[in-house]
Amino acid sequence: MNIPEDLRYSSDHEWVRLEGTRVRVGITDYAQDALGDVVFVDLPAVGAEVSVGGSLGEVESTKSVSEVYAPVAGVVVAVNPELSGAPEQLNADPYGDGWICEIEVADPGTIDTLLDPGAYRALTEA
Amino acid sequence: MAADETTAPEAADRRSPLHEVHLALGAKMVPFGGWEMPLSYPNGTVAEHRVCRSDAVAFDVSHLGTVRLEGSDAFDVLQGALTNDLHRIGPGRAQYTHLLDEEASVLDDIIIWWVAPERFDVMPNASNTSRVRAAIGGIDVTAERAVIAVQGPRARERLAVVAPEAAAVGRFRVLEFDWKGAPCVAAGTGYTGEDGVECAVPAEQAPAFFEAVVAAGAMPAGLGARDTLRLEAALPLHGHELGPGITPLQAGLGWVVGWDKSEFTGRAALDAERETGPRRRLAGLVTEGRQPPREGAVILADGQMVGTVTSGNFSPMLECGIALGFVDTEAGLTQGDSVALEVRGRSLPAVISPTPFWPPKKGAS
Repeated sequence: MNIPEDLRYSSDHEWVRLEGTRVRVGITDYAQDALGDVVFVDLPAVGAEVSVGGSLGEVESTKSVSEVYAPVAGVVVAVNPELSGAPEQLNADPYGDGWICEIEVADPGTIDTLLDPGAYRALTEA
Repeated sequence: MAADETTAPEAADRRSPLHEVHLALGAKMVPFGGWEMPLSYPNGTVAEHRVCRSDAVAFDVSHLGTVRLEGSDAFDVLQGALTNDLHRIGPGRAQYTHLLDEEASVLDDIIIWWVAPERFDVMPNASNTSRVRAAIGGIDVTAERAVIAVQGPRARERLAVVAPEAAAVGRFRVLEFDWKGAPCVAAGTGYTGEDGVECAVPAEQAPAFFEAVVAAGAMPAGLGARDTLRLEAALPLHGHELGPGITPLQAGLGWVVGWDKSEFTGRAALDAERETGPRRRLAGLVTEGRQPPREGAVILADGQMVGTVTSGNFSPMLECGIALGFVDTEAGLTQGDSVALEVRGRSLPAVISPTPFWPPKKGAS
């Protein structure tokens, strides 16, 4: 299972990449593998204010529907427009082209409360 | 991310003779009807689906039951228990039929392989095998064999490399053949809307047979693709489009009933329903976007509830949402009418559409 060293993770299988005061958010390789082929992504609205654990939309595969939870609090400032027409990018490149949205973080310090790669790996192997 | 668990975890204590082959091929295994079966292989459900439409795939469908009836009274037992008329076929042919209860609910939908004059292999759904045996008797030989379905426009060409005799079986024909000395049965049947052949192979030889079919170019495909393929072909799945409270007429399967034969279980209730017309009918639904409609979604016409979705998913060929659902007859809806599907509090526009969804009708607007 691919778990990049430069990211932080939530226990709900989202990843976070800090870029200044923004974070880019997606779902992990483990999550996309568990979902199977993603056929539809319901993206959050740009401008939406989210709290930790709040909804960032839904990801639907041929077999199930899963909610995406905000790993940090803040305002959604960008969404990945490619996912509407090509949701399979979420399977093919979950940490790259398959990113879901960007959040302007209310308190960048909260990033440190997320799981580091080692802790996340331990979670997925439990 | 959290999965929306719509079904409780089920026990899966039975394994196919092909279990080790699936693991070696990297299959994702899931519980299904008491069996542990492949959901998909590393290519994924959508790729498996498309290859079945363009080339050939191989499914392990060993979880289907095989109940064997032999002897001079086998014909009469089946003719009296099941809806379809065995006089329509003969030895060496296959027939799709239903087992009803007294209220004409479909207890199971079944394929019969009439293998030899006094031998019938009756194939119920995995979880209904004991129910079917209670109605017709016979011997459960499910554990003795694997059933391998090779499906797709190039299925016969691929299968011919492994078993040329089996590959030549006609549509809805059944024949016995030997594979490396093992007695096998082939039938020109399937559940994908494509041409194809299903082969019952003794458990011992089945792994080598499956591997040979895959080596001949059929892509292994799992239950995920089997479900999206059958939905595009608008083929019913028991527990969804068939089951308690659902009659063959409501499901649009009146052709499964041998109206000219004398008696079968559920006949009286079915005759009464035929007289008045079914109160609801199965309809096809197509959505504009990619969001899959799902089982349980409420069908609304002009704000009024007129039915419920029984199966829904993304169509890999049409690249939009498709669904089957029961619609109240008195709503008076016809093909082309607009409805709304309530999916988790949101409304998804859909159109009542002809089925099967695939292949699309030539010349249709």
